[in-house]
Amino acid sequence: MAVIELKNINKYFGSGTSKVHVLSDVNFTAERGQLILVVGPSGSGKSTFLTIAGGLQTPSSGNVIIEDQAVDQFSKKQRDELRLNHVGFVLQAYSLVPYLKVREQLELVTKVKPKGNLDDRELKELLNQLGIDDLVNKYPSQLSGGQTQRVAIARALYANPEIVLADEPTAALDSARVIVVGKLLKELAKTRNKAVVVVTHDARLTEFADMTYEIMDGKLYLKDLAPVDK
Amino acid sequence: MYLALKEIRHEKLRYSLIVAMIVMITYLIFILSGLATGLANENTQAIDSWHAKSIVLDRDANVNLSQSTITNEQVNGAQLTKSQALIGQSPVVVKQNNRKKESAQFVGLKGAQYIAKDLVISSGRKAQNNHELVADQQFKMDGYRLGNQVKFNSSSTQYTIVGFTKNAKLNVAPVVYGSLKTWQTLRNLPSGNLAGSAIVSKTAKFSGRDKGLKTYSNSYFISKLPGYSAQNTTFGFMIGFLMVISLVIIAVFLYILTIQALPMYAILRAQGIPAARLVRTILSQSLILMACGIVIGAILTAITAKLIPFGAPIFFNVPMLSAMAVGLLLMGIIGAAIPARKIATVDPVQVIGG
Repeated sequence: MAVIELKNINKYFGSGTSKVHVLSDVNFTAERGQLILVVGPSGSGKSTFLTIAGGLQTPSSGNVIIEDQAVDQFSKKQRDELRLNHVGFVLQAYSLVPYLKVREQLELVTKVKPKGNLDDRELKELLNQLGIDDLVNKYPSQLSGGQTQRVAIARALYANPEIVLADEPTAALDSARVIVVGKLLKELAKTRNKAVVVVTHDARLTEFADMTYEIMDGKLYLKDLAPVDK
Repeated sequence: MYLALKEIRHEKLRYSLIVAMIVMITYLIFILSGLATGLANENTQAIDSWHAKSIVLDRDANVNLSQSTITNEQVNGAQLTKSQALIGQSPVVVKQNNRKKESAQFVGLKGAQYIAKDLVISSGRKAQNNHELVADQQFKMDGYRLGNQVKFNSSSTQYTIVGFTKNAKLNVAPVVYGSLKTWQTLRNLPSGNLAGSAIVSKTAKFSGRDKGLKTYSNSYFISKLPGYSAQNTTFGFMIGFLMVISLVIIAVFLYILTIQALPMYAILRAQGIPAARLVRTILSQSLILMACGIVIGAILTAITAKLIPFGAPIFFNVPMLSAMAVGLLLMGIIGAAIPARKIATVDPVQVIGG
């Protein structure tokens, strides 16, 4: 069953002669239990795709349906609630609050969303899997790039969302950690029945994906270059 | 509040500097308002002790007690009751051998009228004849004692201090209470015609019943004391500007800190953390910083109040200082409004890209 559905999405930036067509008639579906990769060169519209899929911005036309709800019709507050309860974002930059220790980053999630998060056992298992269980009392400034990224992943997963949207989650990781994160994302999709959508340059992740899409000139294709909507 | 406290605890130096500035501003505001109140009190202490509601002066005296004279005929026509008292006021220099000269305000009273009757003596007794005086406590602090013989200006007549009274200052000078006869002598006035400088009334609607006299409300009379309004306005402006400076400081600092942390706030917004919660964070931060600054400033003020020498014209009016503290807290909230608006309108997409 589809948890995210993008129907005929178009997104324009600017107006008049400087109008740019960033996404063109994009159709996309992600189901529970799937790990889907979206690859593409810089400026191809990957991040726009991700932010529209996560309800951070609205399309110029088309529909975004998350958990059977038309998100493009939602108010700002409703979209906030949707992201808080159903969507976990793993982002590249500035992903952690600099003055909170790792355990406090997770506490912050509990403060904002007291229910529905991972329980203590599940959290311990998650931290252990990510290899950050001994970093809980450290500040982001005391972590390496890879550790920071793993903590960001842990924070997104701790809220136990049905949908995980990740923007270059392995950008700062070495090959060994890429394998760990790849397996974790796959396991997350399979055993916890989540829909995981990853926007990335990292070809090392493709071996874990159920499907790989490519964005080119605003159009979304399956990796075999067949347009998805055709 | 959670994020606000965590950030302050983590960035101790940064926030200590902001608090230090708020402490200095609070301290300055409290000391200045203490001085303003103290000086205002020293202008009006004696008048306040008379419980005056209205004052009758010579119509042509330009609301100036020193320039006002009232004749015996006018006093008789005014039909004074037990709620009115005639006073004669004159600036004098009090001298005594081997002691420093004191600039003072001589106030002549009639022993049978309410001001003389109600005069509270802190030590000694009330004056009983034309050569006896009751002086403000300031004289005692400056070494004058009961029984001391003093002279006024260049006069050779000697007067004896028989009592001291507290809180008797007029126009920032200590008051020496004596008789109206002595006042006439000091003013070199022909005896029998001029009775005094003013009629002080405990009732608001008292009229002098003479076209040469005019009744003024006590507050208007005080506002016309030489230098009184100008002094209060000056202090008022200084305190007002300090309030505005505190607002600017908190606004500028929080704005800079917010701009630096905007990408982080954007990420938190992307994760669905409501803008209202983040706005509350910045408002809480401002309130915590202001409250810390105000409390430390108040402690410093209290220490200063203990150390300040007697006689310094400073008086701490706790309800007024509390109102100023609340005013400073409000300035903090207003100062945080601009960065709060920035957070409320941050667009996560701009930080993430796309």
